[in-house]
Amino acid sequence: MSAPTPTMAVRMMRAPRLKRAASWYTVSLGVLVVMTLAAVFAPFIAPYDPNFVNLSAVYQGPSPAHWLGTDSLGRDTLSRMIFGARTALLGPLLVVVFSTILGILLGLLAGWRGGWIDSVLGRLFDVIFAFPSLLIAIMAVALFGKGLVAPVIAMSIAYAPFVARLTRQLIVSERSRPYVAAYRVQGFSGPWIALRRVLPNVTPIVGAQSTLNFGYVLAELAGLSFLGLGVQAPTADWGAMINEAQAGLTGGYFLPAIVPAVAVVIVVVAVNIIGEELSDRIGGGVPA
Amino acid sequence: MTLLEISELTLDLPNGSRLLDGISLRIEEGETVGLVGESGSGKSLTARAVIGLLPDQARTTGSVRLGQTEVLGASVAELLELRRHTASMIFQDPRAGINPMRTIGDHLTEALRLCEGKSAAEANARAKELLAAVRLPRPEDHMHQHPHELSGGMLQRVMIAGALTSSPQLLICDEPTTALDVTTQAEIVAVLSEQRASRGMGMLFITHDLNLAASLCDRVYVMSGGKVEEHGTARAVFGNPQTPYTRRLIEATPSISLSAAETAALAQQSGTLTAAGQGETEPMLAVEGLSKSYRRRGKATVDAVKAVSVSIPRGGALGVVGESGSGKSTLARMIVGLESADAGGIRVDGRDRTTVPRTRAERLAHARSVQMVFQDPYLSLDPRIAAGRSIEDALRLHGTLDSRAARSRVLELLDQVGLAEQYADARPRTLSGGQRQRVAIARALAIEPDVLVMDEATSALDVSVQAQVLDLVADIRKARGLTVLFISHDLAVVRRVCDETVVMKAGEIVERGQSVQLLAAPQHPYTRLLLDSIPRPAWESDPRESAAANA
Amino acid sequence: MLARRIGGKLGSLVLTLFLVSLLVFFSRFLVPGDPVSFLLRGRKPSPEAIAAVTEQYGLNLPVWQQYINWLTGILQGDFGRSLQFRQDVSVVVGERLPVTLMLVVMAGLIIGVLGLTSGIIASLNRGRPLDRAILIGLTMLGAIPSFVGAIVLIAIFAVQLGWFPTFGSGEGFADTIYHLTLPSIALALVFVVLVGKVTRSSMVEQLGREHVEVATSRGLRRAVVIRRHVFRNAIGPILTVSGLLVAGLLVASSIVEAAFGVAGIGSLLVQSVDRLDFPVVQAIVLLVVTAFVVVNGIIDVLEPWIDPRSAAGGSAR
Repeated sequence: MSAPTPTMAVRMMRAPRLKRAASWYTVSLGVLVVMTLAAVFAPFIAPYDPNFVNLSAVYQGPSPAHWLGTDSLGRDTLSRMIFGARTALLGPLLVVVFSTILGILLGLLAGWRGGWIDSVLGRLFDVIFAFPSLLIAIMAVALFGKGLVAPVIAMSIAYAPFVARLTRQLIVSERSRPYVAAYRVQGFSGPWIALRRVLPNVTPIVGAQSTLNFGYVLAELAGLSFLGLGVQAPTADWGAMINEAQAGLTGGYFLPAIVPAVAVVIVVVAVNIIGEELSDRIGGGVPA
Repeated sequence: MTLLEISELTLDLPNGSRLLDGISLRIEEGETVGLVGESGSGKSLTARAVIGLLPDQARTTGSVRLGQTEVLGASVAELLELRRHTASMIFQDPRAGINPMRTIGDHLTEALRLCEGKSAAEANARAKELLAAVRLPRPEDHMHQHPHELSGGMLQRVMIAGALTSSPQLLICDEPTTALDVTTQAEIVAVLSEQRASRGMGMLFITHDLNLAASLCDRVYVMSGGKVEEHGTARAVFGNPQTPYTRRLIEATPSISLSAAETAALAQQSGTLTAAGQGETEPMLAVEGLSKSYRRRGKATVDAVKAVSVSIPRGGALGVVGESGSGKSTLARMIVGLESADAGGIRVDGRDRTTVPRTRAERLAHARSVQMVFQDPYLSLDPRIAAGRSIEDALRLHGTLDSRAARSRVLELLDQVGLAEQYADARPRTLSGGQRQRVAIARALAIEPDVLVMDEATSALDVSVQAQVLDLVADIRKARGLTVLFISHDLAVVRRVCDETVVMKAGEIVERGQSVQLLAAPQHPYTRLLLDSIPRPAWESDPRESAAANA
Repeated sequence: MLARRIGGKLGSLVLTLFLVSLLVFFSRFLVPGDPVSFLLRGRKPSPEAIAAVTEQYGLNLPVWQQYINWLTGILQGDFGRSLQFRQDVSVVVGERLPVTLMLVVMAGLIIGVLGLTSGIIASLNRGRPLDRAILIGLTMLGAIPSFVGAIVLIAIFAVQLGWFPTFGSGEGFADTIYHLTLPSIALALVFVVLVGKVTRSSMVEQLGREHVEVATSRGLRRAVVIRRHVFRNAIGPILTVSGLLVAGLLVASSIVEAAFGVAGIGSLLVQSVDRLDFPVVQAIVLLVVTAFVVVNGIIDVLEPWIDPRSAAGGSAR
């Protein structure tokens, strides 16, 4: 409404800001870049064929030959982890991209047009919200069979309403701001204002939130493979690796399960730190 | 006896910025002291220092003695004691200051029950007493209501009652009427003065409004940039300011009192003309019988604007004055084509501009007829678009300038509103409120409209900035012969810009006439109420009386 | 007024459930090809089996008739027959439901206690090292998916230390709790973080409100201010987020149950997907979604008590 009072200004300075957050951010970006490069150039980096079975070398500990040991079939865990990064990263990337595009379009439509379109879309989102994304993915498998294609499409649809609702809320609050009225008074057309001015003000915030979705999607898709419903053996995938290694746990063979588990955790932490830092930098709303 | 003694108070933040710099201030028992300054002057922080409400990380030096206790470095128990029995505070925005999820009764009784250990029945009885004391109509009912069920003015009374539950010796009021309409402000100030007098409390009254401070306070302190500029009796400070800052502030403050020349001129033409300016030629802006009502689900229909007619001659300036809910903003939005009218017509320079434009040609034509400067400079500029770019957008939409010509025109326009070249690339957030409003004006001028509508365009600004913007508008009018519709809640501001003024109440125009005449001889009771509500220093005369004396 | 409100909410809830049932029923038609072969995937399409499936689903009836029959069956507790167990779906699901509910309740308790405590402690120390430590801790914890949590817990507490069983859900109340301890912790991890973060941000937002400053200025003790004005006002968003978590918990339990070999509806869902037992999948999906819709409907109805402004239709600020 009006300029911040001095007390408000002081209060804003009190807002918690993680010190050294920026350096965590840099480290996280580094981790993601390394993981992505490893995934893309897996055939050149991995020391072994990830599916090369060597029954004379099962459950080996770390050694110069196998840095991270071998699994129950004597396959090199490091190589499988590097190849596993491909499905682990590609799936969430596709889901985040699809759901963001779909969500922004629907959110813009609902928020800018309002009226019955808004009501119908709102009701539709409510219904989709009732289906947790993992459940939709499991249903997709039940319908179309195992693999990643159906779950990725299903989860794109499951996540789109989250993006759409945030976009809609931001668009609605932007639309009521005087700067939009000012554009109208100057004679600009509604679509021009929506697409060229309001949407660019809103997308950074939506983008930062979508980044945070990446971690959840990665965990859920890996979980699906862990359940044996996603990526199928023998393809290397972090979730599937943990699934296969589970049998060895009771025998005390932790490494084949721990390695992909740590990989999952590291990537999710990195993505979440990046997402939170981005949200922080952009702030909770459009800067006034 | 001295109630409050602040000496050499400084306050620094960990990042090194000094928000208060050597403040010294004293309040005697039963005395009303004003703390006057613009935003960022440190007046609110000073007030909070008195009851130990400073931010955790702030470092303070100096001393704040409240009663017998040193506040800076006081123990938790001492602070609680001070807040419970010595001083109370009333905050600016009552809607933010009262917990929206609890009842009014809870707000009033919680301190009594939880601090004084009074029984619920005792506390309730006392609360009702206080609600009656601040003149709320139905204390019994209000106890069970939630804040959202009351108006801002009523809530501020609740806030006052809440502050009085502890029978404080010192009442600190931090801009208690800034969020309120002027007639409500007058009622709240009356309640405050009455309670202060009957209880013999001391009062620290913080405000940006010099006239309000002058009407209420025994002594005033003028603050600027974290320092006390000067202090003394209200009359001495305002009548004979010593520092340049105070002088500038007083000059910038709009007033409704008439100068000798104005009264003389008025006396000469007394009764001769009432419809001046209504020549034979068609007016630039002609609004005829305009109406607009809103239907709300489950509630009664609101007639926001009821058959309003106004006209402004070419190059003229008309003021529209009214309180919140008077329909003045709806009128403006219909004129600029943001809302459709239910009935009536709008003509600009003889062309019909009644309907909301649909096609591109209509939009551009409407935009060239009317432009608007909005109230809140913090929200009316697109945060992502640099100042120069937003002007350029408007230019290129309406013209065929190539980018170089547009750029030089942008700089020209910025220069006209008093902004140097470097501001062309500045994002709105790096600009001050006044600078933003200049950009908004330049953007409107870029389209070269026939009429400029200014909707509360200066009310979010500090008085000194407001004065500069008003001067700018006057200059532009002189240079371009621009026709202006100036909407404001503040009669003193309107009369500074406009030759003629209409007063709106509940969607209707209740009175119209020359601005000076309106001040000197208001006809309608509402106009009179409005004028009476505007705070005026005790020693200043009523414009009506001086006009009458001169006549 | 109140009755009308609740009536309205109820209507909206029923409408949502109706749309949900449409989605669940007609999802089957997304799969190209003939419904009999879809339902009998992976099984020998013997003439008797075909006849049984056609009879059970009324596949020779018009589609809308099939839907109405299916829906009226469900409303009477008849979810059809499981293809893998050759039993009524309601029996199969009903047998496994209690364990899952127990698991979810235990996880819910952990989430409530740890989430609220960490969020409240962090918010009261905002900007200080403790807040920072809790935030970093939560970020790390939030990155541990339930299956990772499960294998780590199994490796440490079940295999290495031998404190807890690795498998099964136990018999009797105490034994069940003992068996479900590790699973409920694994299930709770991610959700603790969500509740902790929303608690913190909701509290921090309220702490910055002017009414809190007003309450402080009146000499109320800090604990009273926090309880009456900060926490009380912060409940709304926390409750909303908790409601949204219900469905997530039920679904995530499938992963945890699979990892710990707990025979609940989660592992049943996975097993049924694996064995192409579509009627069971449909029933569990419907159950989870209905639980979500009902819980959130209840929270919605409670809202006027949490925020009196919502009763008046005013927007929250």
